[in-house]
Amino acid sequence: MISSLLSLKDQNGETGAHSVFLGRVRADIKGGKTVKAIEYSAYESMVNREAEDIIQSILLQYDDVGSIEIRHSTGIVSAGEISLLVMVSGHRRHQAQAACSGAVELIKERFPVWKKEIYEDNSQEWQMPYLA
Amino acid sequence: MEIKVLFFGVLAEVTETMFRHYRNVESFSDLMLRIRDDYPTIAHYTYRVAVNNELVNDEPQLRDQDEVAFLPPFTGG
Repeated sequence: MISSLLSLKDQNGETGAHSVFLGRVRADIKGGKTVKAIEYSAYESMVNREAEDIIQSILLQYDDVGSIEIRHSTGIVSAGEISLLVMVSGHRRHQAQAACSGAVELIKERFPVWKKEIYEDNSQEWQMPYLA
Repeated sequence: MEIKVLFFGVLAEVTETMFRHYRNVESFSDLMLRIRDDYPTIAHYTYRVAVNNELVNDEPQLRDQDEVAFLPPFTGG
């Protein structure tokens, strides 16, 4: 996936840096049970709107950045697999790295996505405690 | 007016509802009263509300065919 993305990102030869963040599902152990997968659900139309807002704000903040790619999985993602990809391409590395880090923080804060952990015994639990 | 209501994450699970149409809605507060009456368990959960994909903090002015979504705290990434 990454190599195919890289081939698309440098059509004019001006890109000197790609900064990539890959979020991966951890096989955490909770209460003696190991996470075997996470099921992601999303409010897709709002995700698309937030992604566009985040990309535009990053491009405005970092004028050396040429493009931003965001991909977030939905459905069941097994432990060890990638759930989030952010790739920022720019002329030089400093802005690409800062922009990539900034984009990841905004995604975590603003993407309407929810994860439910699935354990090896097939029990399931929403990741955060919601009971007031 | 007619309003489309969406539930996500744990709220979809506890309400056993992903979407539902409400007819003859008079206002946002009227909608909230009807939802709390239909799904009293959501009072135990933390959530935010979005209207047409935008988070709202106070009582929004709804229009016919608006989409109102109930969103638990985000945990993406």
